[in-house]
Amino acid sequence: MVAYIVRRLLLAVLTVWAISVLSFAIIHLPPGDYVTSYIASMSASGSAVSEGEAIAMREQLGLDQPITIQYAKWMGLMLQGNFGMAMEWGRPVSDVIGDRMSLTVVISVAAIIFTWAVALPIGIYSAVYRYSILDYAFTFIGFIGLAIPGFMLALIVMYIGFAYFGANVGGLFSPDYAEAPWSWARVWDLTLHLPIPAIVLGISGTAQLIRIMRSNLLDELRKPYVMTARARGLPEYRVILKYPVRVALNPFVSTIGYLLPYVVSGSIIVSLVLSLPTVGPLLLKALIAQDMFLAGTIVLLLGVLTVVGTFISDLLLMWVDPRIRLGQQ
Amino acid sequence: MKLMRAVRVLASLGLAGAFAMGSVGAAAQTAAPAGAPKIGSSLIGKLQGPEIIRDAKAFPKTFKEAPTLAALVKDGKLPAVDKRLPEPSQLFVVKPLDQIGKYGGNWRRAFTGPADHENGNRIVSADKILTFDYTGTRIMPSLARDWKVSDDGKTTTIYLRKGAKWSDGKPLTADDFIFWYEDIYLNKNIVPTPFFEFQIDGKPGTMRKIDDYTVAFEFAEPYAFFVYQLAGSTAIGAGLATRGAFQNWGGAYAPAHYLKQFLPKYSSEEAANKKAKDLGFDNWVSLLRNRYSWALNPELPVMTPWKTVSPINTPTWAMERNPYFWGVDTAGNQLPYIDRITMSLAENAEVANLRAIAGEYDIQERHMHLSKLPVFLENQKKGNYTVKLDPGLNGADVALHVGMAYDADPEIGKLLRNKDFRHALALGIDRDQLNEAFWLGVGTAGSVAPAPDSVYSPGAEWNKKWGVLDLRQSNELLDKVGLTKKDPEGYRLRPDGKGRVRLEMVTVGGQFVPYTQVGEMIKQQWKKIGIDVDIKELERNLAFTRDNNNENQIITWANDGSEVLFLFPRHALPVDAAEAHMGIAFARWYASKGQSGKKPDDPEMLRAFDLFRSAFGMKEEDRVKAGKELWKIIVEQTWSIGTVGQSPAFMGVRIVKNNMGNVPDRQTNAQHVRTPYSSQPITFYFK
Amino acid sequence: MKRPPKLAATPRSPAVTIDEGVVLAAGGQAEQRIAVATQWQLMWWRFRKHRLALGGTFVLVLFYLVSLFADFFAYTDPNESDAQRSLIAPQQIHWRDDGSFRPYVHALTGARDPLTFKRVYVPDPGKKVYLSFFASGEPYQFLGFIPMDRHLIGVQEGRAGDSLFLLGTDLQGRDMWSRLMYATQTSMTIGLVSVALSLVLGVVLGGVSGFFGGMIDTVIQRIIEILRSIPTIPLWMGLAAALPAEWSVVQVYFAITIIISLIGWTELARVVRGRFISLKEEDFVMAAELVGCSKSRIIFRHMVPSFISHIIAATTLAIPAIIISETSLSFLGLGLRPPAISWGVLLQDAQNIQALVISPWLLVPTIPVVVAVLAFNFMGDGIRDAADPYL
Repeated sequence: MVAYIVRRLLLAVLTVWAISVLSFAIIHLPPGDYVTSYIASMSASGSAVSEGEAIAMREQLGLDQPITIQYAKWMGLMLQGNFGMAMEWGRPVSDVIGDRMSLTVVISVAAIIFTWAVALPIGIYSAVYRYSILDYAFTFIGFIGLAIPGFMLALIVMYIGFAYFGANVGGLFSPDYAEAPWSWARVWDLTLHLPIPAIVLGISGTAQLIRIMRSNLLDELRKPYVMTARARGLPEYRVILKYPVRVALNPFVSTIGYLLPYVVSGSIIVSLVLSLPTVGPLLLKALIAQDMFLAGTIVLLLGVLTVVGTFISDLLLMWVDPRIRLGQQ
Repeated sequence: MKLMRAVRVLASLGLAGAFAMGSVGAAAQTAAPAGAPKIGSSLIGKLQGPEIIRDAKAFPKTFKEAPTLAALVKDGKLPAVDKRLPEPSQLFVVKPLDQIGKYGGNWRRAFTGPADHENGNRIVSADKILTFDYTGTRIMPSLARDWKVSDDGKTTTIYLRKGAKWSDGKPLTADDFIFWYEDIYLNKNIVPTPFFEFQIDGKPGTMRKIDDYTVAFEFAEPYAFFVYQLAGSTAIGAGLATRGAFQNWGGAYAPAHYLKQFLPKYSSEEAANKKAKDLGFDNWVSLLRNRYSWALNPELPVMTPWKTVSPINTPTWAMERNPYFWGVDTAGNQLPYIDRITMSLAENAEVANLRAIAGEYDIQERHMHLSKLPVFLENQKKGNYTVKLDPGLNGADVALHVGMAYDADPEIGKLLRNKDFRHALALGIDRDQLNEAFWLGVGTAGSVAPAPDSVYSPGAEWNKKWGVLDLRQSNELLDKVGLTKKDPEGYRLRPDGKGRVRLEMVTVGGQFVPYTQVGEMIKQQWKKIGIDVDIKELERNLAFTRDNNNENQIITWANDGSEVLFLFPRHALPVDAAEAHMGIAFARWYASKGQSGKKPDDPEMLRAFDLFRSAFGMKEEDRVKAGKELWKIIVEQTWSIGTVGQSPAFMGVRIVKNNMGNVPDRQTNAQHVRTPYSSQPITFYFK
Repeated sequence: MKRPPKLAATPRSPAVTIDEGVVLAAGGQAEQRIAVATQWQLMWWRFRKHRLALGGTFVLVLFYLVSLFADFFAYTDPNESDAQRSLIAPQQIHWRDDGSFRPYVHALTGARDPLTFKRVYVPDPGKKVYLSFFASGEPYQFLGFIPMDRHLIGVQEGRAGDSLFLLGTDLQGRDMWSRLMYATQTSMTIGLVSVALSLVLGVVLGGVSGFFGGMIDTVIQRIIEILRSIPTIPLWMGLAAALPAEWSVVQVYFAITIIISLIGWTELARVVRGRFISLKEEDFVMAAELVGCSKSRIIFRHMVPSFISHIIAATTLAIPAIIISETSLSFLGLGLRPPAISWGVLLQDAQNIQALVISPWLLVPTIPVVVAVLAFNFMGDGIRDAADPYL
């Protein structure tokens, strides 16, 4: 058991390292570097960067060195707990990300809650009343979210919110509270603005969840203990809810670990359209500006969260299910 | 088949929704009446703006201030207003457009992130040394009270406002200019290559302090045009705020008392670097770059009417009035009227536009899309705003810049360098179609020449020259070039037998104008002259990088700024080594005086180069003549093919809330006047 | 869009192919029928029960017919632009004329309203444009080699492109119906090509991983984990931006399919690996080994056929994600670009406020995307449910 955990930990470290190499490589794949994109953006707003200046900038930012050395330097900084300076932002990467991380988590959690609130009841219903009209209907509705491109849905919902319900356009706060310090009123304002992004973000995940819940539960319902319970005359809702649903939920509980990074990286485009102050649009802009420290850190962060999440999930799963524990040895 | 029914219902719902949402049916009843005025004219008002008063006799003698500042004065936290302002004879006095305004208010705007500093720069550009009046033609004082150009054109002297103070209350003197010149500009670690504008004929200019309030710029050769460089949007003339935010160290002056702490000269290399490291920067230059920007650093002392309180790298870029601002209105009220500017982050332009439609911004011209004009108009009442259009002066929002130095495919390169071929391409474009589809008919079709009423315009006939559709002549020219053979589909074949003439047009996505879509339409139009073109949408970085390697055959980009040819030539002639769509090799050759790059074969281009170079030393009159001559060459040679321009597509769709005062009906929309600065936002107010 | 969160996709959870079993009709005849039925027959019987799946299959057949015969279904050149017919709303078809079935549309005259700045089109009740089916129009190569000029719909006089706008036009005055037909062709095939690539990668690597286990398994599983730990969008952006600028539309098309399939194969590999691992323990494999069958014979003769249905199901379920990915890539400006026409390219034009407000018909391409994704999902679910007939 301990040996297994140690082995997994070592593998996790190895994976994280591989992710760091890969993310650094991805960011360097497009031709050019931050200075190129800086020059282009200056050019577009009517300024100019001379060749000498470009060379000096590359030198200052260390972009003139071979990629391996740049990587080594980045790693060196990382190991000291320093993520470097976000080039376009002129602020330390940790500050820039830190600003947005808490709201990102809030939105993601809201989206996850929405997904579960919609998908679990539908999943249970369609397992119990399989091939019924309502099974089809609910499944259909649940799958719509998967089928609509998120950016389209986001734009439409945002416009309808504005045109017919007088909602604020995008963002997570009304203008009055955008700058205000945290207070209960601001929290309330945030709560009022959460549903639209939560629904748009969460709806794409419902289908998957419905599908899994349905099949897990079907699996359980066939087992003899359910039949026994029925035979003993337990009320039907207890027969279903008491044990089978709980057992069917087990695999879900163990996936909580890496739910967050999935939702965060899945929300990039929608966050951009809805102008949410989350890390998604930040990552997108950093990639366009080829700001390797900022983009690299975010990609790595999401990667690490996934790895750690998976690790925790596996541990949880082992703890829950002895069959797996034995199988590993 | 429940599913099929469901699908059908869904589909019909979608379609029905589509019909219900569009008001096409309703609008169909109000078809355009015959003989209606030119599209858009109803939204283009009279050009107007505030006046900068230069006669000291007309200056006010007593001064008032904003209530917020008066309160601070009362508490003893701020000196009285007349102690903060320059000496009464040295003031910057503006006569507001309509009336004396009221103090107060928060001007709400949109910005799109840390790269969008021009958004604020253009509002606070009062800290330029000189500027233009609202018409964009006459030079006016701004930070400097006055200026003088010596008879030989070699010296330009500026006179500062005695008693003008930085936003922290320290006086602005000639020493701040000399500090900038000696410690920033001449330090190769900071500014590796001298500014293009601060040299004549390759010889660098110098700066000299005459007295505490007088500074002279001196050159080895006559450089009468330098005063325009000080007034224009150039590295040296665009003000500390703007050029600091651009992070290229321009502005010609800087707050010595604040910035010295970051320079090794005043401590040591180690101390300066340590300070940078402690703050998370790699070295002192990086730290200085950051501290030098008014948008990033709220502590930087500035001369602007508003100063940053919440920097541009946060979700809200906020500015508050500078209590030491050195301008007043004609009644003696210290400007600006508006207390605060709050720009909220829109992660994308679509959200910014929708918020403007919702009436969430007070005045917004940046990021507003011309293509959304019908939507803006539809919501005017609901959002309580008015839409105003400010057409630009440049000839082409989409110019097809021909890569004159392109050589990767020699046969194509040869064609591109053939004037007749370029003329044929130009005559094969149906510009009215483009105007109707992408400019809603508001633009003006024609060549790349600037608006007929702009200074260097060679005359209205040049706007049409090689700028109209003429398929017959176009085809004749192509035959003349030797492209007579065609393939079965009607496309002309290459003379070297390698298939059809297949051009490549590079477009950049996500800009003010939908370059790619325009390109697609041109592709369809060129079918009729048998020319095939591939439209290649590239990311901006990549497109520009290819430019710098002479790899683009044709790139579509605007020619904005070209109306002030000598201030901003790069979209008209390949003379700026930093950017030249028509051949960076030639621009390098020009800029280095033949040291590097490639000499153009085209004698007309060489003639243009000579004329352009000599114009900077010329007197006003001769220079205007030279400018007109240059435009004639540019149009005749068609190094860039014009399509549609003189339109409000670039920052010319202005959404103004109905409670805003002193806002002109139409403002000059151009880079060199720093729109909207030329309308003096310091005089805008909330009614 | 990133791939949807794979919630319970823990590698070690039992394969989710559960079924109550075919509800057996009482009576020996039926039982006999089942006993002698082939695996495929059993699957089909069970699949038929799944109404949504059946419906989905039907829809997909239609979609692929459109893809195959896009030239026939379109009635005009999808690239032909004309500003004078920019943003025409979908036309109303009048089905009956003078009491008999004779569909027609009204001819339109258009101009820009100088006050609202919208293009306004007025139908002329006097001018009727009669439609005909299987009409001759623009010539094209049927199936790529048979010259033909018949189209599903056309007009009786003149060119269809000049007067018929079933789904309206876009900003450049291009016919949306015809564009949609060609877009369907592109997007539906991109799904197939990419999934084929994913399939090859997934089956080979998943199979190797599952069959051999040990070190190879660990390495492959790590690679999968790493790939899945990196957010898709940076991966796409990096790869798409690295495509050489001089590549043609076709080359970019294939490059994009490869990029998309890079993400897709990991899921398939997991399914295949899981199947291999569970099958290895099965008696028939053991028996084959004891009899002395070669490894390849065991894999291809015994193991693969027993889980091919699962692979089909997993493949079907992978296609919709690819279709959505294609639209997302276009949204980011990284996918196919004009002049290529795909659902993503069409939706890119609709991704703005003016489309929502002034020309909502530009959003119509959302409908085929939704329908296709749903259909693939339902069909995939059906196949998966049917895949275990003996359970």
